[in-house]
This record gives sequence, structure tokens and C-alpha cells, in this order.
Amino acid sequence: MSSSKITSSSTAEYFSKNLQQVGFSSGTKAVLTTLKEAIDNSLDACEEAQILPEIHVEIERVGQGTQKNMDQIRVLVSDNGPGIGAEDLAKVYGEYLASSKFGRGRCSRGQQGIGISAATTWAQLTAAKGVTVITKTKRMPQALKALIEVDIKKNQGSVIEKKNITWDRPQGTCVEFFFDGRLQLQGEGGILTYLKGTSLVNPHLSLKYKINKEEEISLERVSNDTIDLPDAVSPHPHTMKLGEFIHHIHLFGKVSVQNFFEKGFSRISSDVTNEMTKHGFKKAWLNRSLTDLSKDEQHKLYQALQSVELMAPSTKSVLRIGEEALSKSVDRLGEVDFFSVVSRKPQICDAKPVVVEVAVARLKNRPSAEEEQSAQVLRFANRVPLQFDKAACAIVKAIESVNWKAYGLAQPKNSIPLGPYVIAVSVVSPFIKFKNASKETIDASDELVEELRLAIMQAGQKLSRHIKKELRAADYEKKIQHIEQFGPILIEGLGRITSASENQLKKAREGLMKILGRDSEVALEDLKKAEEAHQKMTGKGGASSLSEAGSEEEASSGQETEKSSDKKSSKKNKKDKNDDEQTTLALEGDA
Amino acid sequence: MSRKHLATIKDPDKEVPKIAREMCAEMLKELERANRPVLEAIKCSLDNSFYDHKVGYLTPGEKTVKTELNVSSVLKMSRSVFFLEILLRNLDSGAVNTKRELYYIAKGECKQNKKLKPLDFNDQVESDSIIDFICELMEIYREEINCFANDRGGQTYCQNLIVTEHMPDGTKATIDLSSLGTTPFQPKNRPQSFTIKPKKGQIDFCLVVESEGTANTLVTNGFTKRHNAIVMGAQGVPSNGVRAWAKTIQDQLKIPIYFLGDLDAYTMQNIFRTLKAGSAASLIRNKDFSAPEVRFLGVLPDDVKKYDLTNYNVDPRDPVEGRSLKKAQDALANDPFFKDKKNKGVSEILDWLIKEKRRCEQQAFFMVNPKDPQAFEKIILEKIKKKDYV
Repeated sequence: MSSSKITSSSTAEYFSKNLQQVGFSSGTKAVLTTLKEAIDNSLDACEEAQILPEIHVEIERVGQGTQKNMDQIRVLVSDNGPGIGAEDLAKVYGEYLASSKFGRGRCSRGQQGIGISAATTWAQLTAAKGVTVITKTKRMPQALKALIEVDIKKNQGSVIEKKNITWDRPQGTCVEFFFDGRLQLQGEGGILTYLKGTSLVNPHLSLKYKINKEEEISLERVSNDTIDLPDAVSPHPHTMKLGEFIHHIHLFGKVSVQNFFEKGFSRISSDVTNEMTKHGFKKAWLNRSLTDLSKDEQHKLYQALQSVELMAPSTKSVLRIGEEALSKSVDRLGEVDFFSVVSRKPQICDAKPVVVEVAVARLKNRPSAEEEQSAQVLRFANRVPLQFDKAACAIVKAIESVNWKAYGLAQPKNSIPLGPYVIAVSVVSPFIKFKNASKETIDASDELVEELRLAIMQAGQKLSRHIKKELRAADYEKKIQHIEQFGPILIEGLGRITSASENQLKKAREGLMKILGRDSEVALEDLKKAEEAHQKMTGKGGASSLSEAGSEEEASSGQETEKSSDKKSSKKNKKDKNDDEQTTLALEGDA
Repeated sequence: MSRKHLATIKDPDKEVPKIAREMCAEMLKELERANRPVLEAIKCSLDNSFYDHKVGYLTPGEKTVKTELNVSSVLKMSRSVFFLEILLRNLDSGAVNTKRELYYIAKGECKQNKKLKPLDFNDQVESDSIIDFICELMEIYREEINCFANDRGGQTYCQNLIVTEHMPDGTKATIDLSSLGTTPFQPKNRPQSFTIKPKKGQIDFCLVVESEGTANTLVTNGFTKRHNAIVMGAQGVPSNGVRAWAKTIQDQLKIPIYFLGDLDAYTMQNIFRTLKAGSAASLIRNKDFSAPEVRFLGVLPDDVKKYDLTNYNVDPRDPVEGRSLKKAQDALANDPFFKDKKNKGVSEILDWLIKEKRRCEQQAFFMVNPKDPQAFEKIILEKIKKKDYV
């Protein structure tokens, strides 16, 4: 063993040296990650406070960066959220792992409290200046403006400059970063892709953004319903490891085991404790205090819990965007020709609740060359776009496993389908398993891929009805063309072979037109039927359902299959059964 | 659909141009009445094939394919009438063409006449299918509409055979095969145009060899000088000409015909079965294009053992060999020829090939006594003498 001195380092010190692990591995990623962390914080804060978010973004290249091949970038994000109290400012922006959301089992975007502190660190390292924050809560008479930096040695936030200012709004937060980065607008890792994606899965968001000297773009909200965040649920015993279990015991301290089971977990009923007695658990323990249990007894308690069958974890804690909201949001992707959306009921995958939602849209006016290009895939985890390392992601694996040819799309073997389509897939869960700390790739477990696949297939089936309708229309056109082209040729050929008189030919022409006219009527009838079936599916009449006006109609189609957006049914179900699923349905209805 | 709308004519005694004109007149009449003309043709497929060993070849069942005029079939019908016009013109003038030539003739017509341009053919497959449709519709051979295939196979050698060809202009051509040396006589594929007879006495047998090269080897080494026999090269899957020629030999000379080929599934199904009983695709002409008396002389599975012939493994994972094995299994299950108990010997060979997954080539007989150039000939004669065939 080496004789050199062993030192310990702070969390901030570790991350400052390993920023690539949390999304700062390149200039392009640095811009995107900073923007993403700031917007995530704004959206989470607004949702917690039941406020409809209004976010304003400015991104610009302000000069030469301090590193080679880097520009200095300014990113400003301001919101109308509840604001941050003066006492919390340093913690939020300058301290790692200081989070109000960690381990709560809720579907918030941020979880551990690393991201925004990492952005401050990156700005500090590359521009020698932390983050400038302006914030105001309703109770503060004036806004507070401060420059916050990370004290890397101590993992503490330091407020460098602090002053009260007059601000033009009653509440909100505005952050401004200067740092080294590179601006990429388009493509998978592009800023615009991120902003469009964020607007798609956050229908209640009003977003204004200005990039460089370009004109400001405004994306108005398409839903005026605030997000009703589901309450966190107590942990399920089967999702805990032994160490976590013992830690959980310490948290509860001097309470009875019975009380610990009731308050500390979900799914432990008296039937379960009876069953546990077959696996080394003693009923008498129920009245004992947790602190009196020996280590050996704690182990036995854990093992008995793991040995019994339990109901699947609750799905109460998952949040859905909903088909209606998603349908309205689709138009914000660009000029949409038609689309389909599917919002699945919450399911249990890998012992964790998860909800999958899919939107597939065909965009208008895409150049013909793009017909041969792969469809654009937008991935979301807890309503945050994922933009890098897509190959190993569960969402991409599920898309590739679907036979898109059956729905009328071209698809190379085991690949993403081709054409001017956008396939947006959202996974929401309080416990999303990412492959890495920068949260770019969802781990592809078999259960999750299968759930994703089912949702994508449902969306594909809906889409195929549109495509079939188009084919019918093309078929009708073709038939009309056939009548005009080949009818006269056939008659003339027969006339020449049989040396028929002009009178015979005239009669035959009239006869042929009657026959083929009947055929075209049948084709027209088929087309009408296809259109009617399509309209029935989409729930509304009118030819406009083929194109952009289809959004609302599509939403109702989802209600047909899932019945999730139907308030009445959700309320009825709530009465009928005391099940998690219905609770989630009610949330959807309320929203 | 009432039967009176059907424009099918199945009377074989009628002349082709007359049949065609009547069919067109019927179509025109139906159109004048605003009725849909229906063209009905025999379904030429295995599921409509029947085999009776007393008949000896595959015959069509009751299934027909009806093409009713509608917006979907108007192109096919227009093309058929257009092609019929070209073929009738050929029949009137006595001109003959191959399918390839007819494809270009049709393209030329479409190019020269703007009105016909929509009928233009993109490739020969399209025009071939129309010619085949016309043949099935009128139940005629394409040779009957002066459409001939390139002559392939059927190279015939014999020292005792006189062939008389009846020419379309009424004249006759007589060929004495003994005067041709090692150059073969190759028959045209119009069976009714030949009469054949021995120069003197009777001919003992006819040997059809799958490989034309091997047939020529036998002749060059003196087979037809030493034996009063006909040797014919099949050159792979027998063409219409070879099939009709074997039938002519069988019917007019009434001599035994033996087939010698490779021992593999492809030879059994595609070559021997077609020569002996015709094919599902040519149900309407098997009567004149099959020789039911042909026997399979070898290579037999027993020959492989008896003569210790080199043989090869058939790999089911190989795409070509695997497909061939699968086809053989299908044939045993569905092909009425192989299912007939009279052909038990042939189906047993097919079964052996599937089970053993081996194959052996006809030329393997040359390894039996490599120093003797007549060894192959001796084996053939010994097998015929001992009735060692199926």
C-alpha cells in the first residue's frame, strides 16, 4: 500500500473535476445542459406552486471563449414562478446534492440537486464568474439580485454580490450564465430541437425565446390547466435493498414495527404480516419499538418482507400529459399533416410505476429528399427531452422493434422508419432508470421496452388509418384515369378484330362508360366509407381532420381506447374500485 | 355471373383466328348491352392438377380464372385485345416470332400509334403474361399462334431413323439421321409437324440423357453404331420441343424410353416429372407435351451403393439446396403425380433424397471403370437388360 497521505474531497470538488459526467463533455452539450437545467428548475417550481409557467429564454454568442475553439455564450432564463427565498439561494445554485426533490418518489424533472450547481461550476471554471440570479417571492417587497458561486472546497454556495432591486413583476426568478460553449441550433443535440420538444410535452407552458440577434419566437400555451402533481407514495418494500431498509429504520427511530409498516411503506397489510410469519417474522415484533430490534432481527424483518408476495407498487405517483393536451401540443412541432397520440394507463415495469405516451406526426412541406430519411425521434423522460446517446435507449429500441411497414411506412430492417414523421415518446415515472448521470439514455429493460412497444404500436395503428384513407383516394384517382385511358382503346381494338360497324362501336362505348362509371361510383363510395370510418375514429366530421385540425379529433380517439380522459368514467371508476389506476385517471380528468 | 356472358370457346376443332374473332365479337356484344364481358381461362396451377396413371399426364380440374371487365382489369383486357390483333396478323401472314420479338413488336406499335401509348410494356414479363393469358383463354399452345420459343435441347442421334417434317406451305422435308454423323437432329417444337419411322425393322429403345454433353459422348464413342437405339439430349428442364419430341417417339415408334439423369430432387421434379407427365403450368397442353411411358433408368439410390458412386451432401441451410428439399417435401405431400400409387418407385426416390440428404450426378458412372471408355455404355445396357429402372 502506498505511504502517501489519503485525503477526502468534497462533492463539489468531485463534480468540478468530472463535469463531463453530468452533461458538460463538450461546448455544445454545455449550452444545452445549462439551458435544460435552468428550464427544468423553472418548470418544477411553477408546477409545485400551481402556476402556469411563462418562461423567457435568451441565448447568444457574446464573444470569444477562454478555451480554444469555444465561444462565450450567454444564457438567460426567467420565469414567473414562486421565487426563491434569500436563505435558499446559495443552496440552490451553489451546493451539490441540495435538493427538495431527492428520493421523494415524485415525477419531478430534477431529482438529485446536481444539475444547476454543475452549470454554475462550469460558468465559474470557464468564465470566472458564477450565476447571476434575480428572484422575488410574493412576500418580498423588492427583488433580490445576487451573484452566486460554488465554494468548491466546502461544497457550499457563496453569495458574492447581493442587492435589492426593483423588478417589473410580482414574483419569479431569472438566471443568467456566461460560459464557454458552442451554439448548435438544429439536429438531435440542437437548442431548437430541445425547445420544441419541451413545448410538446409541456402544453401548459408559454415559451418565448430569442437566439442571437434573431427575432423573438413565441410559443403560446395550448392548455390552461395547471399540472396537478400527484402526491408521492410511500416506498414499496420490494424496491428496497437491505442497506436502504436499515437506513429507513433509522429515519423512523422510536416507533413500533406496526407503525413503521403502516407509515413507512405501501402495500403492507395485516394479511401480509400474517404471511410473513411463515418466513421467520414473529407477530410479537409488531408491538416492539424499531430501536429495540437487533441487527439480526432487522435482517430477518427484511428477508421476511422480501419473501412474501405483495401487491404491485402503486401507480398513484405517475403523471400523464394526456392525449388531449398532447394533441394540442403536436402543432407546436411544425406544420403537421396528420398525427396520432396514445396515452397508456400507468403500468408497473421492473417493479416501478411508469406511464408511456406517444405522439406520431407527419409533417407537411418536407422536401422529397427527406422521404428517404429516418423519422425524427423525440425522447422524453419525466417531460425532459433526451438528446444524446439515443442508440442504446429503451425508446429507440422499442421503435426499431415495431413493424412500421404494416402501418404504411417504409422501414429498413430493425431500424427507425423512414419519411417526414416525428415520433415523440414520453416516459414518466418517479424512478426512471437512466444509463448515466447525465440522464440521456433510459435503460432498456425487457419490461419497459415491451410497454413502450405496445404504446408505439397503438399510435402506429391509428396512423395507418390515415394512410389507408390516402391510399383509397389515390386508388380512386387511378381508377378514373383507367377509365379515360383504356376504355376507348379496348373498344377500338375489338372493333378492328371483328370489323364492327361505327354504330356498334358507338353503342359499345356507351355501354362501357356505363359499366366503368358504376365502378368509379363504387370506388367513390369506398373512399367515402374510408373517410367516414376515419372521422368516426377521430370523433368529428369534416375533411379538415386529415390535416392540422385533426388535433382535437385525435384526442378523442384516445379516449375511445383508453377512456382515460373521460371525466365521467374516471369518477365512476373511482367510486367502483379503490385502485391506483382510477386515481390517475381522475387526475387526468381534473387536468 | 350468368354463363351466357362467358366468352370462352373450348372447341378444339375450331381454327384459332375464328375462335379469337368470335371471342372478340362476344365481348363487343356484351359491351353494347352494357354488360361486363367475362374472360374465362383454366386455372393452371398445382391445386387444379389431377393425375390418373391411365391417362398418364397432369390434367386440369374444374377450376377456372375469370377476368371480368372492371376498372382494375380494363388494362389487362385492352392489352390482350391489342396483342391478339398482332398475333392474328401473324397467323394471317404466316409470320412467326419469339416472345422477345413480340415484346418489341408491341412496343413498336405503341410508339408509332399515340393512342396505344398507354398500353406500352415496361418489360418482357408484362407482355409474356399477356401471351400466356391469351393461350390459357383459348386453350391453345403458343406455337398455334406462331409464337415459338428458341429451340433448346432434344438433340437426337440414331442410325436407323427417318424424320419427315411437314412444312406450313404443304411441302415435306425428309431427314435420314444416319447421314448426319455426330451432328444431332434438333426438332422444332411443333409436334404435329413430324412423322417418324425406322429406316428398317424396329428400333430397340430410346435413351434420353439429362446432359446433352454426355449424350454426345455416348454417340461419339459409338453407342448408336453398336446399338439400334435413339439417343437424345434433354439439356436440363425439357423444353416444349423436347417434350413433344419424346411424345412423338413414344407414340409413333412405340418403343421403350429411358431417362438417365442426376439423382437429386430437382431432376426428379423439374426434369423427369415434366418429361413424363407435364407440368402444372402447362396443364392445357400436357396431352401433347408429355411422354407417360418414360422410365427412370438412373441414377438410382441403389446404383450409388452398388457401384460405390461418389455422392455429395445436401445442406438444408444452403438457400438453393434448402429450397429444393422443401419443394421435394411439398411435392410428396401435394403433387398428384408423386402421390399416385403407380409412381411409388419415383416418390420413394424423392423420399430417399429428403431423408438421406445426398445427391449423385449421372457422370459419376464414369468412375466405375475409368480405363474403359465403354464402361458407361455397358452399365446402361446392363441396367436395361436387368430391368433396373423405375
